[in-house]
Amino acid sequence: MKNIVLTINGKKVSAPPGTSILTAAEKNGIAIPTLCSHEELAPYGACRICLVEEENSGRLMASCVTPVAPEMTIHTDSPRVKDHRKNIVRLMIAEHPESCIVCNKGNRCELRRVAAELGVAETRLYPMPNHKPFETHNPFIVRDLAKCILCGKCIRADHERVAVGAIDYSDRGFSSRPVTLHEMPLEKSRCTFCGTCVSMCPTGALSTHNTFFTGTPETEETTICGFCGAGCSLSLGVSDNRVVEVNPSPDRDTVNGATLCVRGHFAHDFLLSPERLLHPLVRETDEEGNTRLAPTGFDAALSTVAGRLADIKRRNGEESIGFIGSAKCTNEENYLFQKIARVIFGTNNITSTGAAGGHALIREVAEKTKGTCRVRRLSSLENADAIVAVLSDTDHAVPVAGYHIKRAVKKGAPLVVIDPYRSDLAAFGGVWLHPEKGGKSGAFGIDAINALTARLIAEGGVDRAFMDRYANDEHGWLPAISAKDPDALAKQAGIAPERVKQAASMLKNRKIAFVPPCDLLERQNGKALLDALFNLALITGALGDKNAGIFIPALENNAVGALDMGCAPDMLPGWRKISDASEKESVAAMWEAAIPEKEGKDIHAMIEAAEAGTLKALYIMGENPLRSLPDPERVRGALKKLDFIVVQDILQNRTTELAHVVLPGAAFAEKQGSFTNMEGRIQSFIPVVSPPGDALPDWAILAMLARKAGYPEHYTAIEKIRQEIRRVVPSYTALGSHRQEWVKQNGSEIPDSFPLAPLHTPGTGSEPDEKFPFIAYIGSRRWHLGAGTRTARSARITASGRTGEIEIAPADAMDLGIANDSENGGKPIIRLLSPFGAIERAAAVNQGLPKGHIFVPQGFYGNDAMQIADFNALKPPGSGWRNVRVRIEKM
Amino acid sequence: MLQQAEILESVLERYPSKPEYLIFMLQDIQADCGYIAPESMEIICEHANVPITQGYSVATFYQSFRLEPQGEHEIKVCLGTACHLKGGERLVENLERKLDIHRGETTEDMMFTLNTVNCLGACAMAPVAVVDDEYISSTTPAKLDKSLKAAQQQ
Repeated sequence: MKNIVLTINGKKVSAPPGTSILTAAEKNGIAIPTLCSHEELAPYGACRICLVEEENSGRLMASCVTPVAPEMTIHTDSPRVKDHRKNIVRLMIAEHPESCIVCNKGNRCELRRVAAELGVAETRLYPMPNHKPFETHNPFIVRDLAKCILCGKCIRADHERVAVGAIDYSDRGFSSRPVTLHEMPLEKSRCTFCGTCVSMCPTGALSTHNTFFTGTPETEETTICGFCGAGCSLSLGVSDNRVVEVNPSPDRDTVNGATLCVRGHFAHDFLLSPERLLHPLVRETDEEGNTRLAPTGFDAALSTVAGRLADIKRRNGEESIGFIGSAKCTNEENYLFQKIARVIFGTNNITSTGAAGGHALIREVAEKTKGTCRVRRLSSLENADAIVAVLSDTDHAVPVAGYHIKRAVKKGAPLVVIDPYRSDLAAFGGVWLHPEKGGKSGAFGIDAINALTARLIAEGGVDRAFMDRYANDEHGWLPAISAKDPDALAKQAGIAPERVKQAASMLKNRKIAFVPPCDLLERQNGKALLDALFNLALITGALGDKNAGIFIPALENNAVGALDMGCAPDMLPGWRKISDASEKESVAAMWEAAIPEKEGKDIHAMIEAAEAGTLKALYIMGENPLRSLPDPERVRGALKKLDFIVVQDILQNRTTELAHVVLPGAAFAEKQGSFTNMEGRIQSFIPVVSPPGDALPDWAILAMLARKAGYPEHYTAIEKIRQEIRRVVPSYTALGSHRQEWVKQNGSEIPDSFPLAPLHTPGTGSEPDEKFPFIAYIGSRRWHLGAGTRTARSARITASGRTGEIEIAPADAMDLGIANDSENGGKPIIRLLSPFGAIERAAAVNQGLPKGHIFVPQGFYGNDAMQIADFNALKPPGSGWRNVRVRIEKM
Repeated sequence: MLQQAEILESVLERYPSKPEYLIFMLQDIQADCGYIAPESMEIICEHANVPITQGYSVATFYQSFRLEPQGEHEIKVCLGTACHLKGGERLVENLERKLDIHRGETTEDMMFTLNTVNCLGACAMAPVAVVDDEYISSTTPAKLDKSLKAAQQQ
């Protein structure tokens, strides 16, 4: 369509039809004040500040909701417009409490700015403050609705961007306010405390609960969030070298746009925790034989590390040293870390605890796609043609990915949710496939996907051309599944066949975006489920489509990058297999050093080797295995046998207590580096504050160690590491040149052929039995990330009083006689026993759980949930440590 | 809730699962039950595929929706301009004292609900009050008393 030409303030401008006058003006450098418009929200026209005058008709109109029309002559600040704007602001101020001097919003208040710009001071109107209770009860958001100007940004952010629907307007006219259901406090509503509304609020009506700082931060700098794998851009407000406020960054083309989640917005106060490590510590033994960690300098500490490790290597061989890298550290740090392990200490014993936190899924999908399909933008997910979410945990584990799914559904994409649990997503609309009569079968997911697949094949709803071109059916999967009766498969899964038919009719001939949970391969039958899912993705042609394919949520900020950098016992940087001699040689040539022949030990093998006494030393960077691995007592026992443990971390934790040397590193906001998110987006950042005490960026510590250990290359600046990564890792050739880069893929977008996996008959795994009649799942709740080493140090998360109750199905609670207790508000304490351990916690009824299922949230109480998990389930290929059979004892 | 469950079921059957039917469903429940119970609100919103707060927003926007059980008899006292000048406010205060409730509330025995309205369009009869469907003209506390007693004895 042709552009429309109009005049704004005497300037001829053109804009596509449908553009608002406000947008057309802004694009041409003409600023119009507004309090209710936001580029990510639909135009609304609530505040009327953006009034402009149209000369021909003489009308005043709100420019944010009026589309451009041919031959319009617009004046954005004629005396008449200004006069009206002033009056509107005067009316707002007449209703506003005169408390600017003590208002949390301080200099960021947009109402105050607009009033000042228009020259509105005293209103000369009868003041009519609309007093409302001042709500400070929850530790995240302060609500002072007396200051609300009814712009509706909070409501629209809630409904349009995060799609929760916790708040809406109440009543009419003067008494109308954005309220929760039945005007309950936020903590009793569906609010997830993502804080998106707080960042958008133009006045002091919504502000961050801040007990340690009042006022406007001195500076605001952009960085990347260090929690989950979404990789949100943050704008950190800093005063006195302390991060005092977090908002979504105003930059364009970020993952998160205007949204964040409760962790990203409010949990960064862990940076100020008194438990931060401030000085290098070295274990000393006094005359009585007691040991303690004594503060020292980096020089002395690193000399000890280099000396002891060299000594152990000399006496016990290279294989006796292990390195645990971190999906929380930067690409540069992980690269240097694995290089130190391989080149200086001569071992491939380099891994991370990601084995228990989502690495397996990333690796498996990379394997299946032969390293292609690396870039999967969440913005594409939002524009998906159809979505199938399987056992989805995005709402809690990677909330921003969850927002994208919900937005796609709001835009009209059909959603099929396959999940025995009634998650928020299952309740969001679309078709929910679940065992309707309950059931504890660990094979439910596979059966459900197979039923759906068979139904789609039977109805001709698959992409034959794509399948013929790319699918390699060496195992005869297609004939096998085609021979199955879809209805029988549905019944086997416990789903009404009509339900599967309905789902299939919605998905028929569409390019589907599949969203598995980030912990899929840590669940029972995870591998078989992924195979089934992958086959379905393949035959529906999803893999070749931009807005479709398999979107893997990553639990940790740099889970993808750590693997790209070769933080794995069998892989060199750039996913080069150690078993492949030519690939190994190519890296060895670039490094001008020998690379050890043998593949190293993964996390499970390292702990076993420590128990057996063959592993003598561990260097742990940014990980807390005593908190994040199953069966912590066993891990503790293994670590205690070691001769030497180095822990490089930011917080005192259980693992640092066992260490012989502790090196204080820097958190994400305190250093330079880059993270690669779940989309394949490499995001570089610079320090916003300096690390506390003597702490140093982890790459700098590693560089000093390399030097101490006699390595000739001196990594004096991060740029030197980046130069090397650009050379060694082909997909990172652009690293660091811009704030954002995408993982590069060599050659074609997709490989010539994908193998179709065979039809699985699900394994039994950890099926419940008489002794342990329930099946528990250890999973995420949004308040904590993974094991919660950092989020548990957040004063706000702690103060929110979330206690991570063990969640039980209503029918089971009734049988156990605990349903009534919980209705009375008292929370019964139960003991949960598995074959591997026991925990005691309060129990709560979760209406969304089917009978026989138990949900144990991770991260609470020092992550005690790991006590009931089986360490051996980590042994490759992994049998799903997150699912464990349990029984309940009432206390 | 149990009383509303059956009615709710028939209401849900009548309307497709779309947001545009939200108000119809709320009206039907209101008409049959006299008010919208929180559980009904939740189920209706889920059926209409809107966030439950949106249902609450709609229900509080329109005066005709009630979120709490109403008394058997409704008293409406007009506070429009004419009635206001003729002492409507005093009538309301009188009733508040007598029934021991505030305006908008219901007596403990669920007998009376006291509401105020902005204009009944019967200014010539000011001050006007309505008990159930009976209009009282030039209302006095004594006249109201009589009407309330009559209503109670029905």
